[in-house]
Amino acid sequence: MLHYGLSELDYLDLNKGSRSLDLSGCRKTLKLALLSDSAPQYLTPLFKTLLAKNGVRAEIYEASYDTMELEILDPGSGLHAFRPDTVVILPSVQALRDRYNHFSGDKTLFAEEQAERFTSLWKKLRAFSGASVIQGDYVLPNEKLFGNYEDKAANSFYHTVVSLNRALRQAARPLNHVFISDIDHVAAYHGRRHWLDEKMWILCKAFCAFEFLPHAVQNIVDTLLSLAGEGVKCIVLDLDNTLWGGIIGDDGLEGIRIGHFEDGEAFQNFQYHLLALKDRGILLAVCSKNDLETALRPFREHPEMVLREKDIAVFVANWSSKAENIRTISRMLNIGCGSMAFIDDNLFERGVVRDAIPEMIVPELPDDPADYVRCLTELNLFETTAISALDTDRAELYRIESRRKLGQVQFEDPKAYLESLEMTMTCGRFDPFHLPRIAQLLQRSNQFNLLTRRYAESQCEAFMKDEQNWFPMYLSLKDKYGDNGLISAVIARFDSEAMNIEEWVMSCRVLARGVEQYAMNTLFEEAAKRGVRKIRARYEPTEKNGMVRDLYERLGFRRTGGSGDGPVDWEIDAADYRPQSHFIRTAHTLPGESV
Amino acid sequence: MNRDELHEKLTRVFREVFGQPMLVIHDDMSAADVRNWDSLNHVTMIYAAEKKFGIKFSTREVQNLKNVGELVSLIDQKIP
Repeated sequence: MLHYGLSELDYLDLNKGSRSLDLSGCRKTLKLALLSDSAPQYLTPLFKTLLAKNGVRAEIYEASYDTMELEILDPGSGLHAFRPDTVVILPSVQALRDRYNHFSGDKTLFAEEQAERFTSLWKKLRAFSGASVIQGDYVLPNEKLFGNYEDKAANSFYHTVVSLNRALRQAARPLNHVFISDIDHVAAYHGRRHWLDEKMWILCKAFCAFEFLPHAVQNIVDTLLSLAGEGVKCIVLDLDNTLWGGIIGDDGLEGIRIGHFEDGEAFQNFQYHLLALKDRGILLAVCSKNDLETALRPFREHPEMVLREKDIAVFVANWSSKAENIRTISRMLNIGCGSMAFIDDNLFERGVVRDAIPEMIVPELPDDPADYVRCLTELNLFETTAISALDTDRAELYRIESRRKLGQVQFEDPKAYLESLEMTMTCGRFDPFHLPRIAQLLQRSNQFNLLTRRYAESQCEAFMKDEQNWFPMYLSLKDKYGDNGLISAVIARFDSEAMNIEEWVMSCRVLARGVEQYAMNTLFEEAAKRGVRKIRARYEPTEKNGMVRDLYERLGFRRTGGSGDGPVDWEIDAADYRPQSHFIRTAHTLPGESV
Repeated sequence: MNRDELHEKLTRVFREVFGQPMLVIHDDMSAADVRNWDSLNHVTMIYAAEKKFGIKFSTREVQNLKNVGELVSLIDQKIP
């Protein structure tokens, strides 16, 4: 994922860029419908350019100005025919003001009526399309009639917009296909008095001042990328002058600045921010030019350090090149460098890493550590479209995993190692408890992903409920080092003669552990139970999923179609299947627990 | 800024916005004479000119502009 710094979001450059887009590097295509009550023509080129910069080719359906209802309600509309992946609904506060001024009823009811307008549009859209919805909120107006009393005056326009935004958020919260784009936050960040441009509204119904159009679009693009499975999963941190002031090797434990000593509070605040990111599931790694023992001392002994050794998934301190070390971290965590950000105060190190690993996100860091948190927040690197309870345990899982990898070295025979892990598997049909994590795995897995279908939580729920036609299975692995959590999902569909594997994803943390073999055995048991004679499967190649190109071959399937770089179809008769060997025991579950 | 300098800067704005690297502007030139000078790009051109010269036009000034000559005079009045 590439990200623009704020200063690089120039409307004229991006608009011009849209005329000659280089789409050769695009790995994905996205069908996006844009519904707005401002002029969409100024937004569309920005969507195209900003998505292309992030490797996504956008096909955009631009609904005419102010036709949201018509497009959604009329089955013959262009929107229906377009079949979008995502619908962006971007309303403008000026258009709302017109409606408010013309509203003849009790103005205290206006906000509720408008919220209902959008929630019913979401519902109607859902009835004919599986598309996700990104709904923009309203920028709070600058004009006030009552001053500070405004929010107590229930009929004022300002209060109306506040209530409407709140109502939209509340309505979207339980819906797993609707995401609010917090445009008001972006506008407030830049200053609403600059953002709202009444002249441009009168002249051409522009959504906001031209200068800020790219910022509005980038905010929506961030969510689109997250829906497409992009995102930063790991932050690689330098130590000296990044996590604390000074140099631990020279200044010693007492000499570094962290906590209430000179600018130590700035570093402490930065560490609190990193810890909060870690707690929501972003992994932290350390990459420092230091002796290991020296580098670890502050984490172990300094009373004012916020981050401790246990918070760091992989800790690398040595004197080799940082680029090399980062590649090692990437391998140990099974996370591509494109999903990692590197934070280092040193201009030179940033340059070296940027050159060596172009896909890595390496933000410029401000000189003053007091600005570190703001800098990281501005880049909005950690956008997400789902959180699950298990998310917060992931750092711990990865830490255990990297310890496992170190343990692996001592075993000559991989079988002996696998046996020593004492693995147990819990698996079963999708259930409501596991749906959020399943959806997240489907969104995030890029490498072990056979078809990259990116089913949303709501679709998984539909599979879960349809026992007649679908067998959607999750797998959850434990071993003696800890709980790996839910690490794989297989979605199979039955037709009259076969079980068809429609999607299969697995977390790369558990590669080469026998999970695939275990899963396939279980699928055959299910097929046998239903009396199905064949299993069919398909592999669709992407830039990242080369590791599973031969998966079905390894599991004994024969190729029935496809060649070259395109999709490949596989098949096997149940009678020919030889159960695969592995070292995973099935967990015993108590009655009433999910199986 | 003299009128020549102003002309040169504005030429660059026109070439960029309307996507015509060789475009030569003159006072009588109006939207009908320039490919891509539609209502959409008109506003973009206005924004680009405001940015380039560090000035702001009023709503009515933008609406009443007839040709390049009027735009040049308007900019000339506004630049400090």
